[in-house]
Amino acid sequence: MSIGLDEVLHVAKLAELAVNENEILRLVDQMNRIVNYVAKLDEVPGDRTAEPFLAGPKAVMLREDVEVTVPLARPPSAIAPEFLEGFFLVPRHGAMEDQ
Amino acid sequence: MTAGTAQKRGSGAATARETGARLTEAAPLNAVLHWSQDLLDAEASRVDAMPTPGALAAMPVALKDNIVTVEQPTTCASRVLEGYLSPYNATAVDRLRAAGAMIAAKTNLDEFAMGSSTEHSAFGRVKHPLDPTRVPGGSSGGSAALVAAGVVPAALGSETGGSVRQPASFCGVVGVKPTYGRVSRYGLVAFGSSLDCISVFGRTVDDAARVLSAISGPDPLDATTIDRPPMQVPKALPDLRGLTVGLPQEYFPADLDGGVATALRRTTEQIQALGGDARLVSLPNSAYAVPTYYIIAPAEAAANLARYDGVRYGKRRVGPDGDIRALYRTTRGEGFGEEVRRRILVGTYVLSAGYYDAYYKKAQQVRALIAEDFQRVFASGIDLLLTPTTPTPAFKAGEKTEDPVAMYLADIFVCSMSLAGLPAMSLPVGRSEGLPIGAQLVAPHFGEERMLAVAQVLERTLDPLAEVR
Amino acid sequence: MAWETVIGLEVHVQLRTRTKMFCGNRITFGDPPNTNVCPVCLGLPGALPVPNAEAIRLAVRGALALGCTVHETSVFARKNYFYPDLPKGYQISQFDRPLATGGSVSFDSPDRGRMQVGITRLHVEEDAGKLLHDRFRAKTAVDLNRAGTPLAEIVSEPDLRSPAEARAYLTTLRQILVYAGVSECSMEQGSLRVDANLSIRPAGTTRLGTKTEVKNMNSFANVERALEAERARQIALVEAGHRVEQVTLLFNAATGQVKPTRSKEESHDYRYFPDPDLPPLVLAPAWITEQRATLPELPEAKRARLEAAYALSAQDARVITAEAGLAHYFESVVDAGADPKISANWVMGEVMTTYNESGSFPVPARRLAELIGLVRDGVVSHQAAKRVYAELVQSPDQDPKAAATRLGLVQVSDQGALAGWVDEVLAAHPGEVARFREGETKLMAFFVGQVMKRSRGKADPKGVQPVLTEKLR
Repeated sequence: MSIGLDEVLHVAKLAELAVNENEILRLVDQMNRIVNYVAKLDEVPGDRTAEPFLAGPKAVMLREDVEVTVPLARPPSAIAPEFLEGFFLVPRHGAMEDQ
Repeated sequence: MTAGTAQKRGSGAATARETGARLTEAAPLNAVLHWSQDLLDAEASRVDAMPTPGALAAMPVALKDNIVTVEQPTTCASRVLEGYLSPYNATAVDRLRAAGAMIAAKTNLDEFAMGSSTEHSAFGRVKHPLDPTRVPGGSSGGSAALVAAGVVPAALGSETGGSVRQPASFCGVVGVKPTYGRVSRYGLVAFGSSLDCISVFGRTVDDAARVLSAISGPDPLDATTIDRPPMQVPKALPDLRGLTVGLPQEYFPADLDGGVATALRRTTEQIQALGGDARLVSLPNSAYAVPTYYIIAPAEAAANLARYDGVRYGKRRVGPDGDIRALYRTTRGEGFGEEVRRRILVGTYVLSAGYYDAYYKKAQQVRALIAEDFQRVFASGIDLLLTPTTPTPAFKAGEKTEDPVAMYLADIFVCSMSLAGLPAMSLPVGRSEGLPIGAQLVAPHFGEERMLAVAQVLERTLDPLAEVR
Repeated sequence: MAWETVIGLEVHVQLRTRTKMFCGNRITFGDPPNTNVCPVCLGLPGALPVPNAEAIRLAVRGALALGCTVHETSVFARKNYFYPDLPKGYQISQFDRPLATGGSVSFDSPDRGRMQVGITRLHVEEDAGKLLHDRFRAKTAVDLNRAGTPLAEIVSEPDLRSPAEARAYLTTLRQILVYAGVSECSMEQGSLRVDANLSIRPAGTTRLGTKTEVKNMNSFANVERALEAERARQIALVEAGHRVEQVTLLFNAATGQVKPTRSKEESHDYRYFPDPDLPPLVLAPAWITEQRATLPELPEAKRARLEAAYALSAQDARVITAEAGLAHYFESVVDAGADPKISANWVMGEVMTTYNESGSFPVPARRLAELIGLVRDGVVSHQAAKRVYAELVQSPDQDPKAAATRLGLVQVSDQGALAGWVDEVLAAHPGEVARFREGETKLMAFFVGQVMKRSRGKADPKGVQPVLTEKLR
């Protein structure tokens, strides 16, 4: 199983990661090494019915529907890269206005 | 100090001064990302004003910089979180303070806890306290180095695939990973959520045990904590009579480093001399632990790190197109280091359409098989397992950074316990050519108390500084 | 070429909880932006989700009300994508092991009469924040107050065959969920949202055509309009020899048109996997049974019961049970002693008007029952009663009779008074009296009208006629 350049670029797009030209080939090589290594699991016979492993509790604990205000030591404005009149700001992109 | 005795009140102010001096002296290690005398003094004032000293009595404790604190930045050693000031404290931090501890510093780590050498920090690598050309291990290398250098008696790190035990072994200190779900992850910056455990370094087993006791216990803010009472500091054992220790053959390969092999043999002999029994056992699916881990952890990480998008916090960088995609791709592309980007890509790949069944789903099934191996062994009369913590002592900086898979194999002996959610620890048991060697103990779920008690007996009787050859 | 339309609907309803799905922030409306947030719904590093028990309970009750099978074990999953209103870069939802599957909704299709639509699944998830695109130049503003609000997503089978039918389904779906107390289901307030999938195929064939997704409809009427537009668009496309592309379109209420979104993204790869921060949701069978047993009477059952118990017409029963509150009010009025048929008319008339205007039932049921009694007893005329009702709406807890008296609307039934007016009228119209006595009996109506006029409407018409009859002999 080999990953091609196009596939790596596609995955980078899904992950919203800019990949620059000088590193792309090395990245493809490294990803192939990793993916080929983990493919070792193919040696283990598959069991379609096996339940996935649960590390913690077997059933989720639920929370009562009561208001609990977690005090924030500093407001969103203090940590936001761009904040105006109470809003986080991001650059506008045509595609997003449609939602 | 044994369980139950009240701690003598240490002087917070004196401790703050001493710790500050030691931190200054230890600066060349590059183990610390943030500390200040002002904050140390503030911690001192707080503990000195407490009505009782608490179980930790002014103990200065360092925190890996992926545990959020209000007063100091939390960067995860990443440019993407440079200068980030969390609006809340991690539960573990609150519990340390409630027990009377003083938060000493935020320590250096592999970026977002991804690594085994602390060479992947955006703020420079950490130097091994005994040999600056070597790595302290990772990802919690900064915390390990500080404890090894005598700056603080204890420090918090985090484990996803061995990131406390491995550096503990390299640096010659105690490193304890609790049962998954025993310590709240609320406030631990997530990497591999089903694997992450806040874990403890200690100068001694007792230091580590007391800190672990203080921070353990269920938390209504973390749905993966298990509803069991906090860990108790174990009572002292006189010897190891009645103890049966298993040695899994897969962890003692023929080509194991000579020094490590000798140290483990001596440890086994010591256990027997103390009245314990040692038996060979097998954990056959351990061979698949590292590849299993390197599917599950990156997959969970890829999703966990999606929030670092430059929208609400962290360092924003906008690419030339100036639109929202440029914000995402440049913030993340330039903000994340190479190893983090690699893992995000691998994780995204194994979850993507068409690959989920072959990789992620398969890995979860193999994980269950690995966990079953341990269950079977513990059910067959074995109380604890003993293995080497690492295949070699600390390696040289730069030795493994070229091939990511070579770096991953450094975790070969510690990874399977993380996958199984089991408690495990590393105890320094000797030196090889001056470099520390650690032995690993593994207990069944919620078996920390006995594991620590046994470790304490060994600690009394083994000289961690003795050359093994 | 005759075309068949195939429609499926995905409805998101906001569950009526006090706090968010995974954290303890209150659910609010209209707060200043980003003031109702915490580490969890901000997606801060280190924050973790803990599910809301009430959200689960309401979702289960909604699923049961829709006839679904509620699964004892279901799993939360991460739906991964990047968008500024999504703080974690993923939404916590459910994927291949949802809370409930396999339900159905019975409703009256305008085209096909009584029919059933299958409910494929109901699952729980969290809402995203809100984006404002026009507030700042060249920027999008993000408000995360709404992020983390609990939602139930209800997916129908593609069993609908026309936009009108889709609208009728929505009306009934909403009705059931409101009855069950699961959600306010208000499209205006955003507690109910609809995404529609539509495809066409030649009539009589079974293969599904390419479906498109239509969004941004803010009322059931607009859902119908949007689907009409999209159906027309697809038919025109195909008849011109083109293929239907799998796109997402947005409805523009002003123009009535649908337009493809500008983003040319390929269909999303959401990379679903079970959320490792959340163990499986495990529900005890006995608890599920209890939820089913404690569901309130649902619309269909209530309609049938009211029809039978109170001899209402099918149409009247349908109107009264359209809103849970209306039906409840009706029964309260009857329980307070009023005649069912008359109560029904009042409820479908004045009461419903008030409810549509104000969203409430200001007049206590027993007061309306008393008022109905006054009409029955001839104390006030029906016309006068409507005026008394209007007065009661303004100041609800009044005695209706006292109000009528104050307004001078109490009818006069006193024989003496009536006799007096009758005498005056007969004296004033001797010609008509004579004609009546000669056989023009239809002049009775004229006389009654005159008495009413002379009494300024105060005479009780029922009492007037016998007096006239007596005096005209």
